Amino acid sequence: MMRRLDPRSIGTRFTSQLHDDRTAAILGIALATTFTVCFATGVWSHLVQSPPSWFSRPPRPAGLYRVTQGIHVATGLATIPLLLAKLWVVYPKLFTWPPFRSVAGALERLALLPLVGGGLFLLATGLANINLWYPWPFNFRLAHYWTAWITIGALVVHVGAKWAVTRAALARRGPGRDIGPERRVFLVTIGAGVALVTLTTVGQTLAPLRRIALLAPRRPDRGPQGFPVNRTARAAGVVETALASSYRLVVTGRVERELKLSHDDLLGLPQHDATLPIACVEGWSASKRWRGVRVRDLLDMAGAREGARVTVESLQRRRAFRRSELEPDEARDRDTLLALFVEDEPLHLDHGFPARLIGPNRPGVLQTKWVTRLVVR
Amino acid sequence: MNSPDRQGRAFWVGLAVGGAVMAFGIAGALGDAAATEPRALVAWVVAADIVHDALVAPAGIALGWAVGRVVRAPWRAPVRAGLFLSALVAILAWPGLRGYGRATQPDNPSVQPLDYRAGALATLSIVWVAVGVWGAVRSRKMRSVTNP
Repeated sequence: MMRRLDPRSIGTRFTSQLHDDRTAAILGIALATTFTVCFATGVWSHLVQSPPSWFSRPPRPAGLYRVTQGIHVATGLATIPLLLAKLWVVYPKLFTWPPFRSVAGALERLALLPLVGGGLFLLATGLANINLWYPWPFNFRLAHYWTAWITIGALVVHVGAKWAVTRAALARRGPGRDIGPERRVFLVTIGAGVALVTLTTVGQTLAPLRRIALLAPRRPDRGPQGFPVNRTARAAGVVETALASSYRLVVTGRVERELKLSHDDLLGLPQHDATLPIACVEGWSASKRWRGVRVRDLLDMAGAREGARVTVESLQRRRAFRRSELEPDEARDRDTLLALFVEDEPLHLDHGFPARLIGPNRPGVLQTKWVTRLVVR
Repeated sequence: MNSPDRQGRAFWVGLAVGGAVMAFGIAGALGDAAATEPRALVAWVVAADIVHDALVAPAGIALGWAVGRVVRAPWRAPVRAGLFLSALVAILAWPGLRGYGRATQPDNPSVQPLDYRAGALATLSIVWVAVGVWGAVRSRKMRSVTNP
């Protein structure tokens, strides 16, 4: 019974009519769109997290990062069903024989390796990251970021290679166009997949949908004081220093008067309210009413010059994000606070007691907790 | 189905622009080599290709084929859709079900705070009830077409 399977014939054995150019083109356009949205919002996130010298993070609109990062994660999740479906549609092409017939054909196929591998890598590592799961040796943020550049480059190559085929497949009239209701059913199924993925997760940033976010790795209403924590005080190793009576907030650097303020001193200063989202790079966000001392009031007390940049330092001893920068516009913003309260309660230790930074349009990782030093530059 | 032998201007423009963007990404990854671990990164990307092409896709195709053999015609599309949606539920719920994120921060109850078993079962129930309704409607329609 054993017949030898000729590798040249494998590609012809897929009988479903859905393995056609038109279905591939429709899904291709959907994927080109979602990958572009993910890429743009991802590069934006990278820029605001680690701004290069030519870029200044705008403090307004205050909720911008919440929106761009919410879109980044939601679009990435919605891409999972699209990519799986597209790869199923084009799978027979893997066995095209001969594999290529020209230099252009060889280059086109070579670019599929970083395109498919990179695309799957980005979705898989992104999904693991929003679950705070890191089963790999590299740094997630930089590996995800640089792979995104490589993948989007491979996508540009692919779009160029498929430009003519796609146009022909979408414009075609006659027999090739209509394969009966099969394609419509297939596309509706994929649409249902996108809807399922989105509805069960997007509530992690879109509060009205939080109750149906059955599969979301975070919920905006779960955590101490009713919102999530990314790193606890214990994990950060600050429990003792944050609770110690010797805690001081020091305002130093290029100032006329260095300030050393205890927690009680901070409570004695004019308090201001700001309703701002805490928006994590992992895609969850929660809007809260914060109360505390304006950073600009502290700068004025210390006699810092207008237009100063400020480095905000945590009690945390290790890790890249133990400090963050306030650009001049951010430092002067009326809503940039050293928050002591959230929703009228003193900050929970895991939310940064005794004082945390909260400012408009900043990624959560830059809303430094357990603040102990403001260094004016 | 074959790649066209001859490629037009769009291909060469795409190759030049896309190639430059890829080169930028590769240079960036190498420039941050201490963080990106290029060898491991390449291994993961290639592994993603291989795992998909050698395992995931054949499994999906085999399952779809099996549905064609076992399930009556009107039910095939609904059952295949149900399997596809169930796979998505499994992918999304898997890290939470296994508690992978929770394990990295055992003292942080806001990481994976939900009952993912219950969430996955609820989602799967909705999916398969929908499959049942859709299949029943299709069966009735097809029967009325074949036996007028």
